[in-house]
Amino acid sequence: MSRKPGYHGTILNVDLSTGKIEKLAVPSEDLDKFVGGQGLGMKILWDRLKKPGVDPLSPENPLIFMPGPFSGLPVPSSSRTCVVTKSPITSPVKSAYPHASTVSYSNMGGFFGPEIRFAGYDGIVVTGKAKELSYIVIDDDKVEIREGKKFKGMRTDAFDKAILTELGDRRFKTVYIGPAGENLVPYSSILHTAGRAAGRGGMGCVMGSKNLKAIAVKGSGQPSVADHTRFLAALEKARSALYGSAYAKSWAEQGTARAIVANSNAGTEAVRNYREGTFPEADKIGGDAARRDVWVKDIACYCCPLACKKSGMTKGKYGGIVHDGPEYETGVMLGSNLLIADMPGLLKAIYTIDDLGLDQISTGNVIGFLMEAYEKGLIDRGFLDGIDLKWGNVDATLAMIEKIAAKEGVGALAAEGVRALSWHIGKGSEKFAIQVKGLELAAHNIQANQPRGLSYATAERGACHMSGDDIATQNRRAMIDSIGLCLFPTFEPALEEPMLALLSAITGRDYDKAAFEKTGERIFNLEKMFNYREGFRRADDCLPDRFFEDVFTIGAKKGAVLDRSKFEEMLTRYYKDRGWDTETTKPGKAKLQELGLVKA
Amino acid sequence: MDNEQKETHGPDGPINLTRRDFIKGVGMGGGALVLLGQFGINGLAWALSGDPELKMVLVDYSKCTGCRTCEAACSSRNRPATIGGREVPGLGNPRFANIRVHSFNPDVDVPSVCAMCADNPCVKACPVEPDAKTGRRALYRDAKTHGIRNDAGRCLGCRSCAKACASQRTGVISPNPATGKPERMCTLCGGDPQCVKRCPFGALSYVEVRRDRKFYGLGPEKIAAELAKNWYGTADFGGAK
Repeated sequence: MSRKPGYHGTILNVDLSTGKIEKLAVPSEDLDKFVGGQGLGMKILWDRLKKPGVDPLSPENPLIFMPGPFSGLPVPSSSRTCVVTKSPITSPVKSAYPHASTVSYSNMGGFFGPEIRFAGYDGIVVTGKAKELSYIVIDDDKVEIREGKKFKGMRTDAFDKAILTELGDRRFKTVYIGPAGENLVPYSSILHTAGRAAGRGGMGCVMGSKNLKAIAVKGSGQPSVADHTRFLAALEKARSALYGSAYAKSWAEQGTARAIVANSNAGTEAVRNYREGTFPEADKIGGDAARRDVWVKDIACYCCPLACKKSGMTKGKYGGIVHDGPEYETGVMLGSNLLIADMPGLLKAIYTIDDLGLDQISTGNVIGFLMEAYEKGLIDRGFLDGIDLKWGNVDATLAMIEKIAAKEGVGALAAEGVRALSWHIGKGSEKFAIQVKGLELAAHNIQANQPRGLSYATAERGACHMSGDDIATQNRRAMIDSIGLCLFPTFEPALEEPMLALLSAITGRDYDKAAFEKTGERIFNLEKMFNYREGFRRADDCLPDRFFEDVFTIGAKKGAVLDRSKFEEMLTRYYKDRGWDTETTKPGKAKLQELGLVKA
Repeated sequence: MDNEQKETHGPDGPINLTRRDFIKGVGMGGGALVLLGQFGINGLAWALSGDPELKMVLVDYSKCTGCRTCEAACSSRNRPATIGGREVPGLGNPRFANIRVHSFNPDVDVPSVCAMCADNPCVKACPVEPDAKTGRRALYRDAKTHGIRNDAGRCLGCRSCAKACASQRTGVISPNPATGKPERMCTLCGGDPQCVKRCPFGALSYVEVRRDRKFYGLGPEKIAAELAKNWYGTADFGGAK
């Protein structure tokens, strides 16, 4: 097999049922058309699941870890790993298949993706189910499945240390689940470095269903590039675009936490279970406060000049190590959304969620929903196992987090997410169950931001704030998630040209802006084909009633609410522009032919 | 002496910093032990000796974000590629980097690079008979840069140097897994250390240090423990090397 430049051409496939470990060749055409990361992961998912309705928690569902062509090269911010699988969270309104669900993908930074490529692979696919809790150790060519019963129930912070002690070599890069993933909480996450996560879309749950506690990777090799000289020149330009720039400095200063106050001021923040867009106490949990009181260190992912991650230490009742937060999503979902303005309390909640291996966003969203239902008297304290889940109550929030991860008492129901909760509670609570297709919305509120509503409604994994507010952005981001690059540096316009030049130099394929977005469009459409086959239709691309009914009462966007007919008009235009049927959302044959997804 | 201006390289090109500035940056309160380990303070003999200055790579741990760009930059220079018969920078595989960032939980990142110890225990440990003409063992100190170099042709691959470095100093020297010959001694990139030049956060400096300084040459675990105690009040890393 001739190796394609920019790739190893090899996927590591581990079947936990049989213990079989294989190095599979990736078809060259797939690399050309789907590139890597989310795209290539999606293609593998499509090839493996040939029929709709496969149970996402069955051994058949592959759990796919994908770096991209940038991974393992010293490209600024080329740190990402995209995890792809079939979602254990989402489901359509109506489907012929009991286990119908969307594709799911979740993207994390750190060092794991580059290390996969150092070890000689373009991705790792895990299938099957181990008999007992296990972990996989990959040391270049040497791959082993090891028994890991002694790690059962171990929280992620402790496990992060324990696994390295076990392996005896700190250079291993590891990903792992916490108790929540072991307990099959649908919205559990996969952690890396104790503070980075593939959080969204149920990755930890699928990993847990395979009895897989962790994967450790260490490698000594590196992929090639098609044009070495061009690569070096483009690398120089990429560095120049970011190094020392005001843009990079701004990220290093506050990371995403800057938006906690900024979005509150703009009226676009999730506050009080999305009832409002402004949190009057946002400054107490924002970037300035964190910089002043908490953070001692800026942290970067592989070769990243932005360093948006932070760490610090809080003292007092809720004291402890802070591996990250507040970031925008964590700070808002557990802060503004729950009316928690106590910084140490907020950070304790964030830490606990990571430690248990839950998704920060879904967990904050679920607790916000329960707080509102409790306030409205739709559920009582008995329903909550005696927890006084009032707005702003840190102890109650911490107690609820533990219950969800353990699936204990009310936690068993809360673990199923806001949609399941609202079905159970009834009494009109589905109006403020803030989810799309069963996946909870993130920290961006939309009464005053209709385009973000489009992102939530049409994203392929269920409500996703990162998908993109319009078609071009969605296509572009599907592609960014496929090359191993982080989204954040790409908001710097000066990086655009070097990014395209790097991708061209590495892969030997020529990418201009149009080719880049066209590839993203192909990836997005393949995801849509998958979802359509499962039974997702227009009725599934809908937003909760709250956004059309509950007018903001405070803040800069006081009075804002979405207009249903305008939103529906926007959706119709969206499908039309996508080349999809406006009633069924079925991707049109012409579009799929144009993208090379079906034969002409 | 403390106010002496020394030129070094930051991400924005050459920057000036005084020895005192640098010490302040590295020090970080309780991290002073680390600082002493790096610099040594018994420089009186040096001041009187008239020996030429020695420049080396030093780390400001408070600025290091753990991004490992230094590893890639080091590897690119010291493991070049050949394209069309011309030597050009390599792709930066960190496997071949002489500087290595050790990352810990809680979050501490310690770039570890050859301390160029004045008393070079690695060289002393080399069992190869000194060459009659040069007086060099297989492992020797380069007279010009003061860096530690290995004569691969005479090296036995016995790993004595690596063992001496690991037990007495930073543990930077690593035996090649196949040959046992030492790797990862800093080359200073011919006077333009790429790790310093490419660090996006100004955490590395190429500065003059005293030639007879006494390095305590702490290993990354000890440095990390010192910093973690200072920053987080804990130094429990779980024990892995």
